[in-house]
Amino acid sequence: MKDKLDKLMIRAFGKPLYRIALVLLGLPTFAVAFAAFLSRKSQDEAGYRKIREEAEKEAEADGTLSRIRDNARTYLANKYRHFGRKTDSQEFTRELEKQTARDVEDEIAGRVAGKYEKDGLKKRQTFIQFVCAGLDNQGLLALSLVTSLPMYVLLLISANPYSRYIFERLIMMIFVAFGVVFVVFTILHFASSSPAVNVLGETATAQQIEDFNRVYGLDQPYFIQLLNNFKNLATFNLGNSYSGNEDVMAAILRKFPVTLEMSVYAFIIAVAISIPIGILTAVKPNTAFDYIFMFIALVGLSLPAFWFGMIMILTFSINSHILPASYVEGNKLSLLMPAIVSGTHLAASLARNTRSALLEVLGQDYIVTARAKGLSNIRVIVKHALGNAMIPIVTVAGLQFGGTLGGSAIIEKVFNVKGIGSYVVDKQFLPDIPAILGGVVYVSIIISLVNLAVDLIYVYLDPRIKSRLKSA
Amino acid sequence: MKSENFFIKKANQRKLNRFQENSSLSFACGASAFMGAACVALSYDMKTKALNPVSLGVAGLFLAEALLALLLWSAFKSQVLKKGDVSRGLRLAGSLLVATIVNGNIFCALAGLSLVKKKKNLEYQVGSYMLLVEILIIIVSYLNVFKDYVCDSFFLGMGVLAVVIVIHAVSLPLVAAHVHGNRADKSMMALAVVLIATTVTGNLFSLLLGLMLLRKCCTKDDYVSIAWIDVVKRLFRSQMAVLGAFIIVFLLTISICANLTFDYGIAIDNNYSLILREPSLAYPFGTDDYGRCVFTRVVFGARISLTVGIISTAISIVVGIILGAFAGFYSGTTDNVIMRILDVFMAIPGLLLPIAIIAAFGTNTANITFALGVGAIPSYARTIRASVLTLQDAEFVEAARACGARDKIIIFRHILPNSMAPLIIRATLGIGAGVTAVSSLSYLGLGIAPQIPEWGNILKAGSAYLETNAYMAIFPGFAIVVLVLAFNFLGDGLRDALDPKLK
Repeated sequence: MKDKLDKLMIRAFGKPLYRIALVLLGLPTFAVAFAAFLSRKSQDEAGYRKIREEAEKEAEADGTLSRIRDNARTYLANKYRHFGRKTDSQEFTRELEKQTARDVEDEIAGRVAGKYEKDGLKKRQTFIQFVCAGLDNQGLLALSLVTSLPMYVLLLISANPYSRYIFERLIMMIFVAFGVVFVVFTILHFASSSPAVNVLGETATAQQIEDFNRVYGLDQPYFIQLLNNFKNLATFNLGNSYSGNEDVMAAILRKFPVTLEMSVYAFIIAVAISIPIGILTAVKPNTAFDYIFMFIALVGLSLPAFWFGMIMILTFSINSHILPASYVEGNKLSLLMPAIVSGTHLAASLARNTRSALLEVLGQDYIVTARAKGLSNIRVIVKHALGNAMIPIVTVAGLQFGGTLGGSAIIEKVFNVKGIGSYVVDKQFLPDIPAILGGVVYVSIIISLVNLAVDLIYVYLDPRIKSRLKSA
Repeated sequence: MKSENFFIKKANQRKLNRFQENSSLSFACGASAFMGAACVALSYDMKTKALNPVSLGVAGLFLAEALLALLLWSAFKSQVLKKGDVSRGLRLAGSLLVATIVNGNIFCALAGLSLVKKKKNLEYQVGSYMLLVEILIIIVSYLNVFKDYVCDSFFLGMGVLAVVIVIHAVSLPLVAAHVHGNRADKSMMALAVVLIATTVTGNLFSLLLGLMLLRKCCTKDDYVSIAWIDVVKRLFRSQMAVLGAFIIVFLLTISICANLTFDYGIAIDNNYSLILREPSLAYPFGTDDYGRCVFTRVVFGARISLTVGIISTAISIVVGIILGAFAGFYSGTTDNVIMRILDVFMAIPGLLLPIAIIAAFGTNTANITFALGVGAIPSYARTIRASVLTLQDAEFVEAARACGARDKIIIFRHILPNSMAPLIIRATLGIGAGVTAVSSLSYLGLGIAPQIPEWGNILKAGSAYLETNAYMAIFPGFAIVVLVLAFNFLGDGLRDALDPKLK
């Protein structure tokens, strides 16, 4: 048990970011240990210096050092002659000095280590080894557990490869969220238009504008405002929007489910259409069927969403009154057209990727083996080929789903869907900084979560990735 | 057990495939039939449940041409299978197909050009595309004659185009006769210079042909193949890819030639006597709510879409290459810092980053180009980084390093040229995406100023009249789809042509 803890601790301490996290989370333990280590170190250091001096003397006496120096000179001279360079240049001397110093240091270090071993002396401990040794004491360990529990929680998380991976990704996501706030806020802060004038109108007096800026903290310098935004993000309080003064968090939580619902429908439609088409075209490549469907897929990829949406409205709402032209809350049917439009792009790229991934797999030797065993065509394709082609398909599906979640602003505008995309776009014109920041950060976090989920699906799909994750 | 028939079929197929004409005729037949079917579908008015006679007529024309191609194709097949060669009569009949260019049927015209000539080489193929682009341009420009007036430079422009067409038409048999394999006669040098000079009309095919001729004039050993010409050859094998290139070159040429042959005034000046006219011969796409000719607006709109698409992609490629190459080459801290910064930009979804940049710095063409360019940097950087990472362990990089090459040389001379293929493909697709993005921004009201002819603007204006004047929104949308589709075709073709596995 204690061995395992030592191992975990030493491994975590070897990685720079983990080292910082460990020291910060286990500050009491490390502070005490560091003080103790410093006092021990001065004693150790004196002993070490004595042994080193002895080793140097010995090496000089038995002629090893002069041999090393000669060797280095001959080697370097040979190298210079080979490349046709002069051996009497300053560069040569400099390089020779460096090389000699390195070789001598290696020799001495080897001798010192040998002496330590021979005399049975205690080796010089690194700091983390010292800490681990100190924690062998049950009492100290208990004390440390009480005072720096977060550190042990971190070590526990890092013990399991899955939890460590998820944890690292989540931490990264937090950094990315702060980065997004920084980038978007910086861009909007230096915007040419002032939110105050846009919200209050051209006729606003100087006094009104000043009041507005004071209320929303816009009169403060850039760094203070940036810090405030970081603070807001950390406390999950996204502030109030400039226009309407509504709570941004509440607005996002009201609008996001609509976008999510639309994206899920789009995803279901796309997967239901594209995967079978992708499989069939890969099974019968270079046939008329293949050409026609791949052409349709390419057209689907090239359709601008807003134009396609308009054509859909024209055909199904204006001309034939089958579907409602714009979104009505609570009417699922009114989400069908937006879902089809945003699903088109998804379906097109998914079908193309399914086809190419499957075609690549179908050319492999093990497929020939499977056929040679006499397996039925369906079994070969579903079990042997599709399983192996799944990784690229899942990647594209995940990326595209994330894209529809965040990039459906235009479709939402066309069909008047009150989702998060159109919310952010509407607010851009002011610019309503809290609303935009909130919307963008929220969407980017959701997309990161989707990507994380995709990466975790990989682990179940591909045992190779699982083993790589475990050995990392 | 395969039947005996199966093998005969295969042998016949092999015989037919020896001739280029086979695939071009079948493609012409299929594509014309498709165009005809599309025109029939478009002529159906859902509201009145009636068929529009004009587009029905166009559909009939296309279907008739498809039938003609089918007839020639079957004649061609029977001749090849029986005699193993094509008769002179059939080859002459190919000129009938060339004439179909009059109504813009480039598929049949190309098949005709391919059928007319017995001995063909790559230069002849490129030359036919070059010629067809110019002919199509002059036909489209000629539509202006039906308007009340033409612009002052119209006749000058038409004259220039006619001269260029004559030059191209003359050069077509010349290149077919004077280029042998990888070598061209020295006399072709002058023709190459003339052809390159005609590129000022925007016809990139003539630039390509000129460069190929120049290169082949300089070649010493015609057994040594020239790498980039091989890529062109493979590209021209795919009908779809060349069709994409054709559409792009056509739009590029028309956006340059339109300065002479089209009147910019009709595209931006309000004319209240012509508000919301249905499509007619004078106004092929109708007029909009300010009485401006939608067709002229669409023609001038190609300019902005192409420029913004190409320049923004160029920006993101250059920055992406630099960042990606450094991140991939100097792994460790440099890699981490660059990629984490790019992660932040990647995390901002879809168009939201360009929208934020445009909202902050104002809406003009330069800002939109910049914003779209910045938005696409991370994905290019990632592509480059991935290929640099794989190439870094390659033996030629190790060899360069062992020879004492500096990092800069290794990156820019050894690694980057070898990782260009995925980048070129991505860039082609990226320009298409850029075109969509520009019009999307205009549609959201964040793009180019509304009076300027730009496809998204025309669409936005049209969306308000969807119920009464749907054509205003349909035609510019078609233009976008066709251009983006063209880039996608070209990208797909380039992917096959550049695939090193085929080499």
